[in-house]
Amino acid sequence: MSTKLSNWILWGVVIILLAVFPYLVSFYYLNMFIAFAIFSLYAVTLNILLGYMGVLSFGHAMFFGTGAYAVALVLRHIEGFPLLPTILVGGLAGGLLALVLCPLLVRVSGTAFAMLTLAFSMLIFVAALKFREITGGEDGIGITSIPPLNIPGLVSIDMTDKINFYYFAIIVVAICLYLLWFYTKTPFGSLIVGIRDNALRMDYLGFNLPQTKAINLVVSGTFAGIAGAVHGLLMKLVSTVGVLDIGTSFKPLMMAYIGGVGSFFGPIIGSAILHILEDVVIRFTDRIGLVNGTIFILVVLFAPQGLIGLFNTAKAKWFQKETAS
Amino acid sequence: MNILETKGLYHDFSGLEVLFDVNLQVKEGERLALIGPNGAGKTTLFNTITGMYHPTQGQVFFKGKDITRSNPYQLARIGMGRSFQITTTFARLTAFQNIRQAVLSKNGIRFQMFRKLDKMQDITKETDEILKRINLDGQRNIPAGMLSYGKHRSLEISMALATDPELIMLDEPTAGMSRDETHTAVELIRRLTEGKTVVIIEHDMDVVFSIADRITVLHYGQILATGSPAEIRENQEVKDAYLGDLEY
Repeated sequence: MSTKLSNWILWGVVIILLAVFPYLVSFYYLNMFIAFAIFSLYAVTLNILLGYMGVLSFGHAMFFGTGAYAVALVLRHIEGFPLLPTILVGGLAGGLLALVLCPLLVRVSGTAFAMLTLAFSMLIFVAALKFREITGGEDGIGITSIPPLNIPGLVSIDMTDKINFYYFAIIVVAICLYLLWFYTKTPFGSLIVGIRDNALRMDYLGFNLPQTKAINLVVSGTFAGIAGAVHGLLMKLVSTVGVLDIGTSFKPLMMAYIGGVGSFFGPIIGSAILHILEDVVIRFTDRIGLVNGTIFILVVLFAPQGLIGLFNTAKAKWFQKETAS
Repeated sequence: MNILETKGLYHDFSGLEVLFDVNLQVKEGERLALIGPNGAGKTTLFNTITGMYHPTQGQVFFKGKDITRSNPYQLARIGMGRSFQITTTFARLTAFQNIRQAVLSKNGIRFQMFRKLDKMQDITKETDEILKRINLDGQRNIPAGMLSYGKHRSLEISMALATDPELIMLDEPTAGMSRDETHTAVELIRRLTEGKTVVIIEHDMDVVFSIADRITVLHYGQILATGSPAEIRENQEVKDAYLGDLEY
């Protein structure tokens, strides 16, 4: 009972902090926080594949990027397209791409899965570069105006206002994270974990593996698409190097590994660390990749369960000592 | 009635003939032991029947239905359970979670995404009952990979049984167990498979003779003999090929 109460208090404090945050910091940090939230969601969708289903996606940017491009294209070509459907279009695009690729992707695992996702993401990257008439090539597509959030008969909230957009982005990300968290707690989520631990046994228990894996891929792709959509709106520019390149694929991987692939919240912590780190390191050197890479290697070598794993081990040790003394 | 039947089953791994015209009949409700020297094709026969491989030639019938080209998950859904020689459980999940996966399958819950699993009381209750029956309720929250070998093997056997199959295929359930553990496992198998059809691969002749109603001897991919334990014991060919002259 008391843990439930303290949980409510904790969440209350978090919500209040999130609510007053834009009035405490500059726009620069506000932008950074939105980016952190978007990448948290993006890294969690990757972890749905990596930590839960046990397959390594080297090309997760294709879902993220497809979502972002879909949003940019819709806003450019359809006059007055409302905001919420725009976000859904991003998710739909990511999910659709996953659906198209899943007949191939569900048949492989391990290295083959990593290579296939890498290949497809590179294919889409190059396609986006070459189809200039549609995607604008290297220049990408600018999002000139974000549509206002219209709730018919109630309000119309201007999204060009940074603080309004902050609330909108945070709420979208929070809802998505909640849905994904719930998803991992459902029976279907437990089947995904079963596939990670022992696909053979799942097969012999009567679960259709390709089907189950395909659904999980589509879920992951959909939410990655939503993350991409919000990212596009934040940056107001969708270009290949920003959302489709190999760096965008590796970022969530590093976040997941640094935070801890074994837990749902690990990637969120990883996302926070990488964003804070980037802000600090950039003041001293441009070689941010070098620092990130070093930390990544250290984590993989010495804390394969990530920082959450490290924390849990430390906690276990500490409590053991306490009971011993 | 034959619950399982193979007709002229052949299987070769790119030239290496492992099964050679195998005609196996399993009657409903009986316990059939499959014995034979290493490399006789026992596990391959299991794999071919349970859909891991498709035979090069021949047919497999389960409950009168041709299942030659079926996949493992389809067979599991129509009532065939199987355990493995190499322990095949979810090592990082607890004993409870392991069994729960099987219970989900048994209840046909495959796409439930709108309820929390922990809140599904009926599933939890059913899982706990199974854990109690297999004497693993004390190890409920221990990851399967950290169970003792004997307990882990019991879990393996129970996973094949927890979906409540009509036909149970056990591939060396007591492999690597100590005498005591073997004894417990045999008791467990006897108790849990009451009234069900069991096909069991086993090397331990004590286990074979204490469980089986009928024995089939496989030798170089062919059925050498089939009969009651007493008949097999006396069969000269089987003695030459496998049992030797030791008295059982």
